[in-house]
Amino acid sequence: MIALEHYLILSAIIFSIGLYGLMTLKNGIRLMMCIELMLNAAIINLVAFSAYSHDITGQVFALFIIALAAAEAAIGLAIMLSIYRVRDDINLNEVNILRW
Amino acid sequence: MENILLFSPEIILAVTAIVVLFTGLFLKTEHKSVLGYIAVAGVIISMALTLSIMLSMTTASMFYGTMVIDSLSQLFKLIFLSVALLVSIASIKYVSGSRNTEEFYSLMLLAVIGMMVVSSSNDLITLFVGFELAGLATYALVGFEKKNIVLLEASMKYFIIGALSSALILFGMSYVYGMTGTTSIPGIAENASLLAESPIGLAAVVLLIAGFGYKMALVPFHMWAPDTYQGASPVISALLAGASKKMGFIAAFKVIIVALIALSADWRTIFAVLAVITMTLGNVVALTQTSVKRMLAYSSVAQAGYIAMAFVVLTPTALAGGILYIMSHAFMKAGAFIAVGIVGFMVLLGNREARNVDHIDNFKGLAKRMPLTAFSLMVFLFALAGIPATAGFVSKFVLFASTIEAGLVWLAVIAILNSAISLFYYARVVKYMYFMPAEGGRVSEPAPFAVAMIIALAAVLIIGIWPEPFIYWATEAAKVLLI
Repeated sequence: MIALEHYLILSAIIFSIGLYGLMTLKNGIRLMMCIELMLNAAIINLVAFSAYSHDITGQVFALFIIALAAAEAAIGLAIMLSIYRVRDDINLNEVNILRW
Repeated sequence: MENILLFSPEIILAVTAIVVLFTGLFLKTEHKSVLGYIAVAGVIISMALTLSIMLSMTTASMFYGTMVIDSLSQLFKLIFLSVALLVSIASIKYVSGSRNTEEFYSLMLLAVIGMMVVSSSNDLITLFVGFELAGLATYALVGFEKKNIVLLEASMKYFIIGALSSALILFGMSYVYGMTGTTSIPGIAENASLLAESPIGLAAVVLLIAGFGYKMALVPFHMWAPDTYQGASPVISALLAGASKKMGFIAAFKVIIVALIALSADWRTIFAVLAVITMTLGNVVALTQTSVKRMLAYSSVAQAGYIAMAFVVLTPTALAGGILYIMSHAFMKAGAFIAVGIVGFMVLLGNREARNVDHIDNFKGLAKRMPLTAFSLMVFLFALAGIPATAGFVSKFVLFASTIEAGLVWLAVIAILNSAISLFYYARVVKYMYFMPAEGGRVSEPAPFAVAMIIALAAVLIIGIWPEPFIYWATEAAKVLLI
């Protein structure tokens, strides 16, 4: 029997991997994959809580998040594509005109 | 079904957004300026409806309790709509001649709908959907000029940080849901003892504060704000600083003050630390900026620190002061960004290839070249510093007085010292405008920019000279937060 804790630990690990990647990686597409990991960790949490407490709200929330994550990925890819068209590169270390 | 009428401001805006988008498809580029007037009309109708609902003091809940109408939500909707009005008027000039005018206006209206949904949400799902709607629309708006690498960089930084903040909020919300078994905000407040007992409760609070902190631009979650405000066009910076940031505050009010009030011992300490470092770092870094937009961005960070004091003090007066501050800051900052936009327009008129149009050297002798803009910008900057007879003074007074009243004298002293520091960099811009020789002749302001600036100027002065009704409405709104 898989207990609720196992799901929570799994989602915490996935969330941490996403957060770590977001802090260290420089490639725009990889950053977006890390963001997806973090959102999906939240979805695992919601569905696990929902299944173990026999309450459907969490699964409805999860469906909303899936739709919003898709919209977010679309906007993000559009921005990355525009940067690529201007610079031929999406290494974000090179995108540093604005700084103090 | 009469409840649906209470939702009419959002519906009107949504219809306007769709009408603008589809009308734009059939218009030639040179005729597209009419879309701006349609958007302005939609915003004004929506404002009138919101105001009438607010004045009738209706409280209602809609859509199975996921949305509420009360004085708090209506006041914030009015703030968002006022900023949208300023931005849509000023944008008539900014987007003129662009092929994508219809997309600009419909994205801007959708962003405002998202903010309005957040302000009347009563459920974590509604709140998050509204939050994302506003976020997604503004990411696209910041990168509106697809060939301009500076705008794209600003947009990319804003997108990455915005997506990170929604992931943090969502992870925090998932814990809150798991511990309390509900996503309804009053339901969470009832069951919050379950959350307070478990270590997961503290993790959820930290995640939520970090997530909302990014939107509110509290230090250390502020690094995107200066880059984005400086890089984006001034009208969009006005929308971000005036409205999008306030959406972070209303969301935090709802989720942290209303739902998680049982954990207030934990989050009041966190907010005390964040408020102090936010106002200090914002003001100190703003001292050395040479780009006026970047200076305004750091000043906006510092002002978020003052508003965050409301979370620490947590008395009805302090919350009213915070809400009043949010209201005045929306007008002061949006007005200041629009004035900077006019200066940028003037510089580009002289030299089409000019870079760094918001550099402080371009403000030399502005009082001679554009007296109206120079005067308005002076009023906005003095209001941000908190000089009497402006909105900034009234809101700072209410907020700081309530802090002292609650016995947190140290916090009020730090805030007042910070206001004194901030006067230095605001006064420097005024010195450049009024006491430096002009380089170039008189330029007349473009009409749409001037109209938007005068509306903001009037709002700042009216709140400053006749604050009673605004304090009354802020107090009414604060009553909703502390039941």
